[in-house]
Amino acid sequence: MTGFTYLGALLASIAAMALIDVRWRLAFRRAPAASALAVGAGTLVLLAWDLAGIGFGVFFRGDSAWATGVLLAPELPLEEPVFLVFLCYLSLVAVLGVERMLERRSGAQGGDAASDAVTDAATRSSQTDAATRPTETNAAARSGGRPS
Amino acid sequence: MTYSLICLPFLAVAVVLSLAAARRLPPAARRRRWLAIGFAGALVLVLTGVFDSLMVAAGLFGYVEGTRLGPTIGMAPIEDFAYPIVTVLLVPAIWTLARRRRARGGRGED
Repeated sequence: MTGFTYLGALLASIAAMALIDVRWRLAFRRAPAASALAVGAGTLVLLAWDLAGIGFGVFFRGDSAWATGVLLAPELPLEEPVFLVFLCYLSLVAVLGVERMLERRSGAQGGDAASDAVTDAATRSSQTDAATRPTETNAAARSGGRPS
Repeated sequence: MTYSLICLPFLAVAVVLSLAAARRLPPAARRRRWLAIGFAGALVLVLTGVFDSLMVAAGLFGYVEGTRLGPTIGMAPIEDFAYPIVTVLLVPAIWTLARRRRARGGRGED
């Protein structure tokens, strides 16, 4: 079972990241398609990077007791794409999370108590109602009405 | 040397896409995006220093001698830190560009 330690830790980390994401409506609940595309395409780019490293003889797979030992390609373990998904997801949630904190802080400075609710509503409507409310308008509405 | 040269094109793509995405944000949101990339980037770099070292120590992967520049942070070669720099630039950029495209497409159907 120790062979599943690394894979298990990665999957648990992705699940924990998803809880943070869903709780604060940062990525997937806000824009599911864009989030899937960002994490998916990011993972493919990093995978190409890994394969370049393997191809040029930089990386090799360790013979660790913590890994399953299953290989997807020479020197490319099963765990690697899972790790890359986690790294991309972590980066997306971290950037959008800090963005949200900065947004709330500037909302508080403007003395607008309802600014969070407005932001969330604007975020939701930009997804469900993009046809009638272009995102540019929402973003402008969000950034307007406060000192800059 | 090999490893650092492999990193360069990926860093370049990430920088170009993050600039393209930032251009599409209104000024206040753009400022927040760059600040957020800075703070989140610092966080993910620290996490990389800790966990990459653990992963190398656990023997999950290794590096062939003579392909690296040499300096390490913990057990992580400095080139490994290009990965989190690329992800904090690239992934939110794709996210923003995808949302904008969708919003524009939606308006077109109006």
